[in-house]
Amino acid sequence: MAHKILVVDDDNALREMVGIVLESEGFELCFHDAGTGALEAFKTEEPDLVLLDVMLPGKDGIQVCNEIRAISGTPIIMLTAKTESEDVVRGLEAGADDYVVKPFDPTVLLARIRARLRPLAKTDGDTVQIGPLTLDIVGHEVRRGSEKLLLTPLEFNLLLTLAVKPKQVFTREMLLETVWGYAYKADTRLVNVHVQRLRSKIEEDPDNPKIVTTVRGIGYKAGQG
Amino acid sequence: MKIRVAIDWALGLFRRFLQVRAVFTTVVLSGIALLVVGGFLSYSIGNGLYQTRVSQILAESERAVVEVQNTFSASTVTDEIALQSLLNSVVPSLESQGSTDSRKVALLRTPGQVGAQILQSPISADLDTAVIPIDFKAQVRNTSGKLTYQSVGLPQLNGSIHPGVVVGSPIEIPLAGKYELYLVFDLNGEQLTLDFVQSVLFWGMLILLFMIGTVSYFVTNWLVKPVQVAAEVSEEIAEGALDRRLTERGEDVIAILARSFNRMADSLQKQITKLASVSKMQQRFVSDVSHELRTPLTTIKLAGDVIFASREKLEPAAKRSAELMHDQIERFEVLLNDLLEISRYDAGAVAADLEIQDMNGIVGSAIAGLEPLAQSRGSVIEIKIPSGPVDVEVDGRRIERLIRNLLANAIEHGESRPISVAVGLSDSAVAVSVTDSGIGMSRAEVDRVFDRFWRADPARKRTTGGTGLGLAISLEDTQLHGGWLQVWAKPNEGASFRLTLPRRQGMVFTQSPLPLPPRAKKTKAVENE
Repeated sequence: MAHKILVVDDDNALREMVGIVLESEGFELCFHDAGTGALEAFKTEEPDLVLLDVMLPGKDGIQVCNEIRAISGTPIIMLTAKTESEDVVRGLEAGADDYVVKPFDPTVLLARIRARLRPLAKTDGDTVQIGPLTLDIVGHEVRRGSEKLLLTPLEFNLLLTLAVKPKQVFTREMLLETVWGYAYKADTRLVNVHVQRLRSKIEEDPDNPKIVTTVRGIGYKAGQG
Repeated sequence: MKIRVAIDWALGLFRRFLQVRAVFTTVVLSGIALLVVGGFLSYSIGNGLYQTRVSQILAESERAVVEVQNTFSASTVTDEIALQSLLNSVVPSLESQGSTDSRKVALLRTPGQVGAQILQSPISADLDTAVIPIDFKAQVRNTSGKLTYQSVGLPQLNGSIHPGVVVGSPIEIPLAGKYELYLVFDLNGEQLTLDFVQSVLFWGMLILLFMIGTVSYFVTNWLVKPVQVAAEVSEEIAEGALDRRLTERGEDVIAILARSFNRMADSLQKQITKLASVSKMQQRFVSDVSHELRTPLTTIKLAGDVIFASREKLEPAAKRSAELMHDQIERFEVLLNDLLEISRYDAGAVAADLEIQDMNGIVGSAIAGLEPLAQSRGSVIEIKIPSGPVDVEVDGRRIERLIRNLLANAIEHGESRPISVAVGLSDSAVAVSVTDSGIGMSRAEVDRVFDRFWRADPARKRTTGGTGLGLAISLEDTQLHGGWLQVWAKPNEGASFRLTLPRRQGMVFTQSPLPLPPRAKKTKAVENE
């Protein structure tokens, strides 16, 4: 089944061009041209992935991203013309899984999209236990006791990657490769921001994390000690 | 030593504080004025007292002389004993007369007369006739029937000397001949009065001087205060508190100062705010341009790629066009990125994303990125790095870009000769040098090497497609880290760029861990000489 991608961009030419590139790769596409109404378009189209421009008339991409995140964990890739730290971090904090800086290569865009739509790596069992949390790999669910935690697929993947090897310390580069699918090194802020978002959902006290801990100067690992 | 310190301190105080100067000057000048006035007063009072007393003394003396003369002239005594008793009665009678009892009397026979002295000269009990100067006596003898006077000092039993006046007049005594009547007046009473007046004057003036000092201190303080406040406020404004103002009160010169000061501060603040907003607008502009240019460029790039991917199906001319377009879009993108980067620096909108990293790693990945280019140009990259990690706090992305840029330049101008990359470290600094043995640069070229859009040799064909902004951005990146980017070059010997960065932000270093020019080059230069 072809994956469906929603492209939200106010530039007609770019929208059409992205459409040409992605359709030639076998994706199904739908479009929206403004920030206002983007959420409605998302609801009606039910895409598998959203390409979201940051600068949009009406609402900006950051707001739209927040709105979508409020109702769904569908992968979102921001299309940004800005590499300034602030804008990128703002987009990631709003819940975007990844970002692509304009002008981008079609190959880069395709790689980012495929990485986000790729199914999870195979694991031995159906569930993984980490601290008080139980990860249901088949159902893509995380439970603390009977309470179900709402994680995006990316956050689930991040947590699962750490949880299956609880003793191992993952550098940011390793996580970028396994979770985000970057073969070559990329922006480590992706990892930092998403670890923060993940912690705010799974930790009792996000400022004093116990499940996903920081190993100073190296990276992250699951559990303490 | 201590005195010197005290003097230095006082001089420092004097120089630093307007008030101290003003008070000091006021006190010194009024001190001089008071000294003059006091001297004059003291002199006038003394003189007045003396003159009054002298005229009183003369009047008394005149009466006394007339009386004595009359006594003798009218006497009918004929024998010596009676005359002696008459003589003796004169002194007590004169002593008891007059306004003060502090007079002494002496009736002396004028020496050098014919006939022996038959009578004793009556003299007041405690009068030493030596106090009467000899030349005064002579003067008295020569003035017939007139009073003569002179100031004298009267030695006292306790050793002190009282001021006095002696009055003398010749007296004719029947039967006895010429005599001289001397009246000695003690002026100690007047002297005491004068002393008292002087001491009152002295203390009064001292108190006055102190009060003048105090008053001048308060007055200058009152005048200096607004100036002091103005100084403090301008200091605060200089430190960035642009909205600080002086209080404007009244119509005097201080109020005028406050008003003009505030007007100046207003216009300064306006200018600064305007400049700040211009800078904000520039940043905003950069950001907007970034978006506006990048979106169409993305479309062009995607379209170009689609065409490029299917170039095999095109006519030869269209195919070549597709290839050219593909390359030039890439160049355009690099140029746009560099332009945006440099304008971000110009707008001051760049912040370093600092992290402790291994410089060897950064250098390694920069080399890895350029290895294909070096190979295609036939350049070998030689690496000289310290063993073990070289930890340094940098914005890794910028520093790697910087080193890549230096390497790209070295490859382009290196004439396919080996390029050497070295890393050095000290306690406070880390250095990276990139050295080629290519065409090098002249002195004038070295001076312009960091200028924007400047190229070492405009006639040379461009192969690596640099934008001409690379070194300008590299220099900005270096300055962002508080480091140095230096260059050595010699025509036909090559060029060496040395980057020196503090190991941790804010560390101060005075020397780079690597030499410039590089050792190999230096020896070569020496050999040539």
